[in-house]
Amino acid sequence: MQSTDYESVRRARTRNLKLWLALLLTPAALLLIVFVFIPMGSAVLYSLYEWDGLARKGYVGLANFSDILFDPVRNKVLFHAFWNNVKVFVTLMIIQNGYALVLAMLLARNPRGYRFYQVVFFLPVILSTVIVSFQWKLFLNPVFGLVNKALIAVGLESWAVPWLGLPETALPAMMLVNAWHWFGFPTLVFLAAIHRIPTDFIEAARLDGASEWRIAREIIWPLMAPAVTIIVVLTFIGSFNWFEIPYVMNGLEGSPQGSTDMLGLLFYRTAFGSISAGGSDFGHGSALAVLMFIFIFVFSILATKYLTSREVEMN
Amino acid sequence: MAKVELRGVNKQFGSVHVIKDINLTVEDHEFVVFVGPSGCGKSTLLRLIAGLEEITSGEIDIDGARVDHLAPARRGVAMVFQSYALYPHFTVAQNMGYALRVAKEDKAVIDRKVREAAEILQLTEYLDRKPKALSGGQRQRVAIGRAIVRDPKVFLFDEPLSNLDAKLRVQMRIELTRLHRELNATMIYVTHDQVEAMTMADKIVVLRDGRVEQIGAPLDLYNTPDNRFVAGFIGSPAMNFFAGRAESVSDAGVEVALEGGTRFTFPCETPGVKAGDVVEFGVRPEHFSIGGNGDGGSDGALKGEVYAVERLGGETYLYLNSGSYRDIVAHMSGDAPISIGDSVEIGFSLARSHLFGPDGQSIR
Repeated sequence: MQSTDYESVRRARTRNLKLWLALLLTPAALLLIVFVFIPMGSAVLYSLYEWDGLARKGYVGLANFSDILFDPVRNKVLFHAFWNNVKVFVTLMIIQNGYALVLAMLLARNPRGYRFYQVVFFLPVILSTVIVSFQWKLFLNPVFGLVNKALIAVGLESWAVPWLGLPETALPAMMLVNAWHWFGFPTLVFLAAIHRIPTDFIEAARLDGASEWRIAREIIWPLMAPAVTIIVVLTFIGSFNWFEIPYVMNGLEGSPQGSTDMLGLLFYRTAFGSISAGGSDFGHGSALAVLMFIFIFVFSILATKYLTSREVEMN
Repeated sequence: MAKVELRGVNKQFGSVHVIKDINLTVEDHEFVVFVGPSGCGKSTLLRLIAGLEEITSGEIDIDGARVDHLAPARRGVAMVFQSYALYPHFTVAQNMGYALRVAKEDKAVIDRKVREAAEILQLTEYLDRKPKALSGGQRQRVAIGRAIVRDPKVFLFDEPLSNLDAKLRVQMRIELTRLHRELNATMIYVTHDQVEAMTMADKIVVLRDGRVEQIGAPLDLYNTPDNRFVAGFIGSPAMNFFAGRAESVSDAGVEVALEGGTRFTFPCETPGVKAGDVVEFGVRPEHFSIGGNGDGGSDGALKGEVYAVERLGGETYLYLNSGSYRDIVAHMSGDAPISIGDSVEIGFSLARSHLFGPDGQSIR
């Protein structure tokens, strides 16, 4: 009789716990379903149809995918934009994250004003990307922009070029703007990772006679691997979804001469229409979005797996 | 190996003065233990010798040469950290040979030295393992091996056994003592555990609040502590203290009155107290006797009631209250026929007791 009581109390406790879990998980699950899974499913569905403006026509199977990947005209634009995204990823890895790593190493030594610098470096991150892009578009204006005025003021007139107007400078300029906007984030992540490394490791290496460079390279860097994984994957996702900065600074066409065209801009032009792409084409646009998602998803998983395998437990 | 000398060493962190005018000599081949309660500055002092902290003033010499301006690696010291500080991404062999790799030693030399150290520490079969795959005791041995491979002038140990369980600690204590004998090295060892200090040291330095309280051989500190702090810190369980009054001072010594009417004359040459001063009488738990059972004598006694008995097999600890004297601990043999609630008389011998003046200094 008593054991039955225990059993019913235990069952009631388990039921209550499950109810609580369900209650706590429901809002997040609803948000995910409504704003992530349904749009993803819709995009996949749209990509299988022919569209005329906002009107869905007949089912075409994988024809939209085939057009994007193998039609010579579309394919050329696609791979040009993709190549630009690759350039963005590689450059941001070197410039933005490399700079962040150096700053984190310096800040980890607790210099005077450490807190102040930490806040200052992070400030651009909290600004809206649209505002940052617009502000830098003004700074880089060839006539009244701050950058060229400063260059002229210090006697570098020959360097004062229309940064966003030349095919060879437009993309580098935008990438620098991105680096300025975001470098505070990897700096903080790297700094947190360095602070996680027990000081005993560094002190032991100093007693072993290792130089600061050697300590950074052989002790700190390998032990920062988890932070590197996060930053590489986030930079990859960000680079292949790059949209706001090129859109605000040089418009939807990836001008000048397609030098700043990105997969994100191409998707937007295709799906919603533009001067060059003509009217909106949800079918091809959705197919492009699905391809981008698959590429980013698969690569991110592979990169995470590879990078995680390099990580070492601290203890 | 080498002699270490500290002269007038001070360390301040901002306005906090943590090491105060330390003068100390560690002789060649000596095993010296810095001991003291948490926050007494013992680890800071070790770090100052290692060069991981800079001294504010004073001088540190190792092997006759001033080193306080040198980088840690150039002082000829090797340190074993409390956390072991083994690089988790290196194997045991790579950890042990790191200093030699940094010094661009020949690969064959590194290999030979690592193997030699591994042999001494019985680590040969673990050389290819990562620290994660080792037990606490093995990691500790790797950390010691890393120090041995460098062939330093002085070994520094910062509470190296505190992360180990009780059994392993005893084992490692014995191993470290053996290692000291084998290497014939100068070793400085920091611990808060006075058992480690007593069992391993040639010389103990007792620190409190950044100052040296007493320096001496373990048994000197145990038998003739300079002050109440050292008397209470060295010995486990700690010495019992009884507040009393100096009734009179004569050539024969200080006549002390304890609460409850116990009176005795404590023999001493330089009393340093006057009649009426408050004094403290100290007796170690193992120096009490009950009914002639124990190490104490019959120069005086206190009556008390037993409120707890701890029987450890070979020995028994009694906890008593006697008037306002609370929590008196007495050590008896394992089979002492005493029970909770018994009223007992605990006797003491003056020859094995201690008296401290109002300033806490020992009266001898």
